[in-house]
Amino acid sequence: MDVRSPEGMDARSGGTVEARFSGGRSGTAPLTWGQRAIWDAVRKTAPDDRYFNFGQILPVPGRARPLTPERAAAALGSLVERHESLRTRLGPADPDRAQADQAQAEQAQAEQAQAEQAQADQAQAERVRPYRPLEDPEPQQVLEGSGTLTVTVTTGDPERLLDELTATAFDYAAEWPLRAGLVVDGDEVTHLVLAFCHLAADGMGAEVALRDLRLLLTRGAVPGPVPPRPLDLARWQESEPGQRVARMAAEHWEQEYRRIPPTMFDRPSGEAASPPVWRAKIVSRAMDLAAQRIAALHSTSTSTVLLAFSSSLVTEVTGHEVCAMLPIVGNRFRGDTVNAVTTLSQEGLFVLEAGHEDVAALLRAAKPAALRAYRSAYHDPRDRDRLTAEISRSRGTAVHPYCCFNDMRFTDRADATHDEATVRRALAETELTWPLQQDKLNCRFCLHLTAEPGGLGVSVTADTRFLSRPAMERYLLDLESALVAAAFAGAPELVG
Amino acid sequence: MEEAAVREAPALRERLAALVAWASDGTVTAAEALAATVPLSALGVTSLAQMRLIDAVEREFGIEFDFSDGEVDVLNDLGALERRITGAV
Repeated sequence: MDVRSPEGMDARSGGTVEARFSGGRSGTAPLTWGQRAIWDAVRKTAPDDRYFNFGQILPVPGRARPLTPERAAAALGSLVERHESLRTRLGPADPDRAQADQAQAEQAQAEQAQAEQAQADQAQAERVRPYRPLEDPEPQQVLEGSGTLTVTVTTGDPERLLDELTATAFDYAAEWPLRAGLVVDGDEVTHLVLAFCHLAADGMGAEVALRDLRLLLTRGAVPGPVPPRPLDLARWQESEPGQRVARMAAEHWEQEYRRIPPTMFDRPSGEAASPPVWRAKIVSRAMDLAAQRIAALHSTSTSTVLLAFSSSLVTEVTGHEVCAMLPIVGNRFRGDTVNAVTTLSQEGLFVLEAGHEDVAALLRAAKPAALRAYRSAYHDPRDRDRLTAEISRSRGTAVHPYCCFNDMRFTDRADATHDEATVRRALAETELTWPLQQDKLNCRFCLHLTAEPGGLGVSVTADTRFLSRPAMERYLLDLESALVAAAFAGAPELVG
Repeated sequence: MEEAAVREAPALRERLAALVAWASDGTVTAAEALAATVPLSALGVTSLAQMRLIDAVEREFGIEFDFSDGEVDVLNDLGALERRITGAV
């Protein structure tokens, strides 16, 4: 773990404590569909793959206080014991390759022990080529039964510790997919900070992990059965019922990939920025209230409203007759996967025609389109890759929307009672920032929704070679205007 | 009124109402689903809950939704969902 600990760290522990875990099963399996999807994205984004790191901060609950670093570390060890994804890393799937690597490593170790000079050690190290997961498109998951997680102990701001823990990309083969830290005040832990490798969990999975950690701290145990683990999921996905689900999803991808625009943002902007990838973000209470009102008036969710309006605006900006957008879908619809700590989220395919005459028509079309998209999200990425290659060949051009939508909120509230004056007044509070810039991204247009204290957070992370910075800003403000206008223009009577 | 609706509901509809309650994590109770005079989405059945409901109904009753444009309305109405399962539509 490459984390610099600031001054004032707990002198007793020297800046770290160890969280040990043992007694669990070990094994290997192919990647699950969700792991495969995120792995593909990570490889395409490297070396900027720290982009996928994310984390959670847990203030120590009152019932667990006072909490020593040792007890906190024990709870973290129990958490990793319970959730196999947190002790699962990547390894080579090819057994011959694995054996060769192992033999080579053992030979190197033996030779190294005999070597007497630093120069010889150096020559040795150069001969052994370590497994480099980022070069492997088809790794397998490797579950370890026991191990030790080194936990940073520090004082100060938990947010700063989280920034440090998420600052560098994970070593997917060598490092545990969870980085943990404790913020202490004297001898007492005040916050636990978790940074996740996206191969181990998605946003919902991390929520479950945090909830379980809280229970471990307050009750010493997590009640109930352990939810399905990545090894089990991988085996189900390879089974006949899993393949049936995959086939249904693949039919949707195939049908739509034959007719959608090959890519949505296909014209050079002429205003590429440096670095090329930027994020513009607004926090808008007005948009939040407007979306809630539209959702209530049209008997749907704000998520569907925002997906529909975002897509509609993409067709206006790009001039295409059809919008293809890839919503990130949680895939926690099955009763048994609701609480799984793993990456289940995958892209679905949402396709919407342009030119609906009013909001009612737009949402009438968007609702079933959203359900089709949600179902298509639980798919085998290998099917999608194969279909994409086939259809791209037959259409004579590469097909990929490069246009995605990620609603990262955990609640969705519909409310028709917001009045026009309040919503329009809230427009003045909207703020726009540019919180991120980087060289590489495996997409051209990513729309993220987050719940912020000041309202709805909506960001566009775009490749400025295809959507300039002024156009990104205009898109966000136009989206806000369109929603506010639609919330109060020609609205139907409130149902019920 | 809600209690009367529960008592008079046929077994299939009761089961569907229980699935709505499960799928919505209790945001909409079984009694509320049975007594609903408005679309279930107006009561708080989100698109996530709809997907959970679809998955549960498909597995329990061996049917498959095709997500054609009209089928969303089925998810908003217990009676329509019941007819979809019994093959009346």
